[in-house]
Formats: sequence, structure tokens, C-alpha cells
Amino acid sequence: MTSLRLEHIVKDYDGPGGRQPALRDISLEVADGETLAIVGPSGCGKSTLLKIVAGLEFPTHGRIYYGNIDMTDIKPQDRGVGMVFQDYALYPAMKSKGNLAYYFEHHDYTHEQMEERVRRTAELMGVDFQHLLGRFPETLSGGEQQRVAIARCIVRDPTIFLMDEPIVNLDAKRREKTRIEIKKLLRTFGVTTLYVTHDQQEAIFMGDRLAVMRAGRIEQVGSFDDLYYSPANLFVATFIGSPPLNILPAAVSEGRLHMAGQSWPLPPELAERLPPGPLRLGVRAEHWLRDQPDGLPLEISHSERIPTERIAIVHGHWLGQRVTVSLPLEQADSKSGLARLRPDWEQLLYFAADDERVLASPGPPELF
Amino acid sequence: MGLASGGIVIEHVVKRFGERAVVDDLTLHIQPGELFVLVGPSGCGKTTTLRLLAGLEPVSEGRIYFGERLVNDIRPRDRNVAMVFQDYAIFPHLTVFENIAYGLRARHAPRGLINERVTSAARLFRIEHLLGRKPRQLSGGERQRVALARAMVRDATLYLYDEPLANLDAQLRHQAREDILTLHRQKGQPAVYVTHDQAEAMALGDRIAVMRDGKLQQVGSGLDLYERPCNQFVAFFIGTPGINLFEVEVRPDERPEHGGRLRLVHPAFSLPVPAEFQTQVVPYLGQRLTLGIRPEHLQPPRRADFAVSEDSTIRGLVNVIEPTVSGCTVYLSTLEPTPRDFVATLKARLPGSYLGRDIPLAVNLRKIHLFDPADGRALLHGAAAAVPVPAAAVPVPAAVNGRSAGDETDRQGKATVQEPAKEQQTSEASTEREEQA
Repeated sequence: MTSLRLEHIVKDYDGPGGRQPALRDISLEVADGETLAIVGPSGCGKSTLLKIVAGLEFPTHGRIYYGNIDMTDIKPQDRGVGMVFQDYALYPAMKSKGNLAYYFEHHDYTHEQMEERVRRTAELMGVDFQHLLGRFPETLSGGEQQRVAIARCIVRDPTIFLMDEPIVNLDAKRREKTRIEIKKLLRTFGVTTLYVTHDQQEAIFMGDRLAVMRAGRIEQVGSFDDLYYSPANLFVATFIGSPPLNILPAAVSEGRLHMAGQSWPLPPELAERLPPGPLRLGVRAEHWLRDQPDGLPLEISHSERIPTERIAIVHGHWLGQRVTVSLPLEQADSKSGLARLRPDWEQLLYFAADDERVLASPGPPELF
Repeated sequence: MGLASGGIVIEHVVKRFGERAVVDDLTLHIQPGELFVLVGPSGCGKTTTLRLLAGLEPVSEGRIYFGERLVNDIRPRDRNVAMVFQDYAIFPHLTVFENIAYGLRARHAPRGLINERVTSAARLFRIEHLLGRKPRQLSGGERQRVALARAMVRDATLYLYDEPLANLDAQLRHQAREDILTLHRQKGQPAVYVTHDQAEAMALGDRIAVMRDGKLQQVGSGLDLYERPCNQFVAFFIGTPGINLFEVEVRPDERPEHGGRLRLVHPAFSLPVPAEFQTQVVPYLGQRLTLGIRPEHLQPPRRADFAVSEDSTIRGLVNVIEPTVSGCTVYLSTLEPTPRDFVATLKARLPGSYLGRDIPLAVNLRKIHLFDPADGRALLHGAAAAVPVPAAAVPVPAAVNGRSAGDETDRQGKATVQEPAKEQQTSEASTEREEQA
């Protein structure tokens, strides 16, 4: 077990158009036992980063440390990493137990040592893991295969755990159950883990912290609250959160906010902080106030219900812009108060008009 | 071929592959203009149903009507159905324009009409600037919009969608859903939408049909299915995070001041049966029932928005706290004697210091669900909605065999996944080919 540190990692590939940067100056620290979820759209470099940590690819520049040991030039088999991929990659001709034991049979271990390690791992994997050991991969469900793949990593006592979209091939219902199992295992074993996914919800669930990547760079590292309430830029703000953030063009002058021919007084603190001129508002579905004397109507196109959170998400147009508004589920049918709707200025994110800079963000709300 | 006012009727339809009935006595009425969603786990027969509607497979028994017209023996091409697939099924060698125009050309539409329709559909789905490109130059989201535009230019009697969002990133899905709703509204024709994702079903469908092992379980609005599931399978399948299921025994309350009341007793907790449910529960005195509690009906006692009595709590060890917009989702396990996972969605953010601690959660007793363990039938809220289901079709709950209910569905899901490979591998190419035949 160890911490992980990346210093100024650059990776270039030779492509048809010359040198293509895949990673541009990535620096990261992951604490001992921590799970860092790396999330970003396809092609952002997250899988390349994982391969570099594993030693399957070597960086063009930069250093990789496990604890205080420089691993940059160490071969992958000597790094002691455990990797789990989306396609499980179990040996189909072996039962689960054989899959777990394979490593020991090929590295000077006695039969007794192997038996002991497999037994201990199966115990840690939970009460219902034992019955999987005697079965062939093809007789296991996707979720079960993935548990065997994880056990196969754990049995080797990895220094670092690397997971690349491990549950992307499971259907929605099984994904929900498997991710809980993986999270509990990561907690049980306390192995330092990098978890790569394109799905922000999964990243939020899995990561103690999250790193958001785009085009070979890390845009922000932090907790869910950091990313959601204090995003580093417009990209992070739109990437994190569901339904996605609505962006509305506006302008500030003389302490008032102007949008599509309408105007509202800004709260004094914001009026002071926001520079006069054009800007963009980032409005999340829960950032609307209903039944306001200075509110304007929402033109409703459709709504969806999320019963577990007791809310409905209403999609529509407000001042000619597409917006999403969340309502308490009980009021989803009456659509009450939507005729006089406006954003809650104090909760919004404010962005520059011409780049991705954040001008003001609210920080996390007081919940208790 | 018009039929603008016609609905779709599926009457006692059976589809067998060999001995196995993949669709088993299915009856559904899809209203004119309705977006109807079929949802269920892999192998439940939903995609086969779609293929029966398209005419890509003949029915073994039963009848399908488009409006008044019996279409059992009508070829796919003459059914005038438009399909949108998971893999978009666009031709790699054709430009975006030609892909969109394909269906119209196959029907020998005049050139002017083709140009006009393709351009306006491309504009609607924001791919006007891509008309000259080949599919490999497009992103997944753009390909999907090409597939939608291709359906848009058709004047089909029925629109079929087979998991059209499955290959899209989460962030693209919201937009894609809106695009599908736009297409649906503009066409005003009935549509059947197949997905395994219940959240997508809830977001899109006017009505939703839940299928399992070829059989219809329940039809209703998303909220109907969620609040009044007719059986344990529907209760488990609809809702994320899923309903918590516990095996309990019905016993009389021993305390004299509670004379005549019943309790639901689990090794880790015991809950009083609310007076309003007494009649339904009495027949099970001394027997086992499956108790279902939705995650939002478990709340910290002092923050609950429902009546809390001292003896209506469950204690759990906090394993994971997942932040959400409205608070957090907490993953817990019961304490004794064997830990069992359950989930609560709280209206407030639980501080990280609670990880690894055990906390009490109050149960909203008026919202509990009870299922007969023999056949999975709902005894309380969804009892009236019940469709008869044979005993074997319902998963055995939790503690009966020492595994969790989820595991059970895992294995059963695996067992039924052996549907003929061609069900999974559908492509518009084949539809078009048959259409031209």
C-alpha cells in the first residue's frame, strides 16, 4: 500500500498530422488508501493516464512516484499494480479459483501458500463469493465475472489498484448493485485506487475525490461539493450535474442584471462583485424561485419524474432560452408557480462572456 | 397509408423460438399518438416484440393490428414502420445526406421532396453542416441525430426505437431524449420505445409496460409503477436506487398495550403494521412476507417528513455516502445477525464523519410494500393492478437462501439471456433490404 504522485506528465503520440499531445502536463497526488475517480468525455486522455501509471505506456516527460519510489522507468510487471478493465478478461478455460491461483502457480509459491491466499481473499470478498470459486466464467453473470476479476487482482496484494470502466458493460440494474460491492471492497482493502469512468454519477459514487479531465489536461480535482458548487471553469460546471447546467447570456450594469429586454436588481454583494458588461449565467434545475412578483412564465415542453428524490424536472423555454426546472414531485401536475419564475441570483454560477472563467460561485449551501 | 388516427393493437401474441416462448401471450393497446415504452431486463422479450411489430419476425400466435388493419401477413416494407436503433445502423459508405434520404429514395420520392425534407430534418437535429460527411467523421451523438433525421423524413404509421440512447454518454442523453420527443411530437404517430433502463422509461413514456421472461407484468404511468407496483419484480425493477427488500415474519405484538396489533419481524428489526393494513396482513399471521421499503421512506427520525413512532426504526451501518443535488444517498448494512445491504435517500447531506457508524432511520410505515413470497403478488398499494403471474416468474427474496435479491435476478437474468442472437443483432440494413424485396 502506498500513495501515488504524478509530476508534470506529458505524453505525445506520433500521429498522421505530426506529434499529438495525449496528456499535457498532468500533476496529481493520491493519498494512501484513497480512491480518486478520473472522469471526462471520451478522448480526454483518462485511459492513457491509467496506462502510464501502470507502466503499459511510458511518459514523454514527467515522473511517477509510488510513495517515495520513482517508478517512471520500472517495467509494468515489477510495479505490483492490479488492473481491472471493462471486459473482465478472465481465463475462460479455468474456473474462478484457477483464475485466482494462476499468478501463484507461475511465481515461486508453494501449493499451501497459494491455497491460503485464495482462501483469505475469498473470505474478504464476502459470504456469497465462495460459491463462485468452482464455476467457469461463462456460467457467471457480468457482475459476478467482474467480482472474480477484482478478486484476482486483490489476491496478489497490489500496491495500487487501477480500474478502467469496470462496470460499463453491465445493464443499469446490475451496475447499481456491482458498484456498491466494488466500493465496499475498496473500503475493506484500503488500496490506493484510480478509477476511470466517463459517467459523472459513477465517479461521484466511487471517488473519495474526483479529477475532471478534458483534452489531455486536468481541469479540476476535488470533492463533489467543490466541483458542483465551486467549479474551476465553465467546462467543469457543465460536465458535473444532471440535468446539465443551463447557460443564459446576460449583462450587468448599474447593479442590475439584464436579459432579453428584462432587468432585475442584483443582490448587493453580487452587484459589487460582478464586472459591468456581458456575462453568462449558469443555472441549475434547483436554482429557480417560483411565484416571484418579478418572475416570468416558463413555456413548458415536457417533464420527467424522479420519484426517489421526490422531484420532477420540467423542461421548457424561459425568456426564449432552453431551461430545466426542478419541482417537488407533489406539484409536478399542477406546475404551480411556473408562471412567475426567475433564477435565484444568489445560487447561480456566473461566467465571463468570452471565455470559461468563473466570475462568482455560491459555494456549498448550509444543509444542517 | 395514413392511419393518423389509428392505434396499435397486440392481441394474445406468442412468439416461440423452438420450444421457448420468448413473447408469451402479450396483449397491449397503444393509443394513437402515444409514446409507449417497453422496459425489462435483457431477455425479457421487449426487442422481440419490437421486431414482431416491424414484421421482421412472424408471430407464432395472436394478432397485430395497425388501426383496423390486421398486419400479421403484411411484409415489413408494406407495414410502413420507421426504426431507430442502438447502433444507429447508418450506412458507412453513404454521406449523411444519402443516409437520411435512403428511405425516401427507396420509395422513389421526387427529388425536390427529398431535398426539402432532408434539409429541414437536418436543420431540426442540428446536422445541417454535416450533410456532406461520411459517418466515420461523426461523433456518436451526431450519428444518433442522423438516425433520428432519417426517421423524421419518413411518413411512417409507427415509429420504433430500440435502445437508441444506449451508446451515448450521460451528458448527451438529455439532449437526445429531447430530440426523440421532438420527433415523436412532430410526427404525431404512435411510437414504441424499448429500453432496459427504467430511469429512461420513466423520463420518456406516456405509459410504460414492464416485461419479464416474455410476459407482461404491469402497464401504467411511471408513478403508477413506482408507487403501486403489482408485484415484487416491478417494485424491484422500477426505481433507482432500488427498493429495499427484507424477508419478515408476521407476529402478534406481545406487549399488552398493543393488544391485537401485528408486527413485521426481521432478525435485525421489527416494525408495527399500521392499522390501515391490518386486514391485508392478518391472513399471514405466523407466516413470512417480503417487506419493501423505498429508499426515500427511510429518514433520520428527527428530520422525517412523516409521523415517527419510537418503535419504527431500522439501524444500519453507514458504508457509503453519495452526494446528490437534494441531499445524499446512503448505503448501509443491517447490524445483526447477518449484514444485509439497504439504501436510504436523505433530504440532507450526511457528514462524512458518519462513515462506519451505525445510525437509526425511521420508516414511513404508511408507504411500505408487502409481497406474498409464494408468487410475489403485492398485498397493499398495487394489489388492484395485479396481472396474474406464475409463481416461478418472480425472484425469491433475500434471506430465504442466504443471498440477496439482487443476486437472484443476476442469475436468472443470465439464465434467460440466451435469447437467439439475432434478437440483439438488428440493423436497419436488414429492414431496408426486406423493404426493397
